[in-house]
Amino acid sequence: MTIRNTTQRWGAVAQLLHWLIVAFIITQFTLATMFDDLPSGPRKLALLARHKSVGITILMLAAVRLAWRWANREKPPLPDTLKPYERRLARLTHGLLYLLLFAVPLAGWTMSSARGFPVSWFGLFTLPDLVPKNKALYETLVTTHGVLAWTLGVVAIVHLLAALKHHFVLRDDVLKRMLPFTATKAQGSDR
Amino acid sequence: MRTRARALASALLATLLARVPAAAADNVTHYVLDPAKSKLEFSFSQAGAQNKGRFTHFTTALDLAASDPAASHLEVTVEMSSVDTGDQERDDTLRDADLFAVRKFAQARFVAAQIVKTATGYEAVGKLTIRDMTRDLRLPFVLRTATEQGVSAAYMTGKTSLRRLDYGVGQGDWKATDQVGNEVGVSFSLRLTAR
Repeated sequence: MTIRNTTQRWGAVAQLLHWLIVAFIITQFTLATMFDDLPSGPRKLALLARHKSVGITILMLAAVRLAWRWANREKPPLPDTLKPYERRLARLTHGLLYLLLFAVPLAGWTMSSARGFPVSWFGLFTLPDLVPKNKALYETLVTTHGVLAWTLGVVAIVHLLAALKHHFVLRDDVLKRMLPFTATKAQGSDR
Repeated sequence: MRTRARALASALLATLLARVPAAAADNVTHYVLDPAKSKLEFSFSQAGAQNKGRFTHFTTALDLAASDPAASHLEVTVEMSSVDTGDQERDDTLRDADLFAVRKFAQARFVAAQIVKTATGYEAVGKLTIRDMTRDLRLPFVLRTATEQGVSAAYMTGKTSLRRLDYGVGQGDWKATDQVGNEVGVSFSLRLTAR
């Protein structure tokens, strides 16, 4: 597997970024579910702090990922078997995922600022407040952050189901080329 | 009855004797707080980030003996329920039993019976009580006096830091310091006027 993308498969950097973000999104939903049930106290603070740090990490990884994508114009194309509407749907889903990778953490960060709680990244540095303290804005952003997060969850599941369909129904390389240690038809041992 | 009267008399005498040095030091000025132009703030780390708060209700009395700082006296009383960190939920949590416990311990008090001169200003040597815990505290401050429209005013500024757990601020789960740090910065900027 190469570092950079090829026309056959995603390179190591693109794969690493993709799967790290997957792991962190799962972490975020888990943490959110855990602290939602807790009364306010140090335990809730700890989980919230972790959630914020991981969220900022996703934001940073999303920026790196977009930059890497921009610097790596070569990428495996969508399979020829796709109908035009399926191509549009794939592009829409991917576009939405990128958008939400930025929107969800930004809404969370802004929400913390509006509450008047500065966001720290794993206690190593404190991020600047994006907006001044504003109770009404905070209440709105709680909803916004939640709705955006659930949208991300739904779109990610659509993305996952599509990948599984490609692998198990269409039996093409779409999933394999995002997986390490797998051979794709174009470059694998069966060529 | 007689022993009680005797004890009272000797206590009275002791008080009188104790007051002698203060009386001997001429020019003791009694200052009281100008609340509108004074602030008492604190800073603490929460979830890795620095946060700020303040107390909106507190009183300060300073008896400043110009020629003999040692005879000076400083007393600060803080209404703990007047805590304001800019977040209602957090303030309510602070007032609760595990932290300030304002129902049981309404006030925190710093009493200094001695003020010593230092290279940079003064230091009030006294005891700070928060909740039911009393500890020695040396409070450094800078003092500037001025006469403003015939009123003598004193400006006191300074800062120090405390460990909240020294005073029991943090019971139960709040004893943990990973989310809310033990170290608490205290800073004040007071305007006092002569009585």
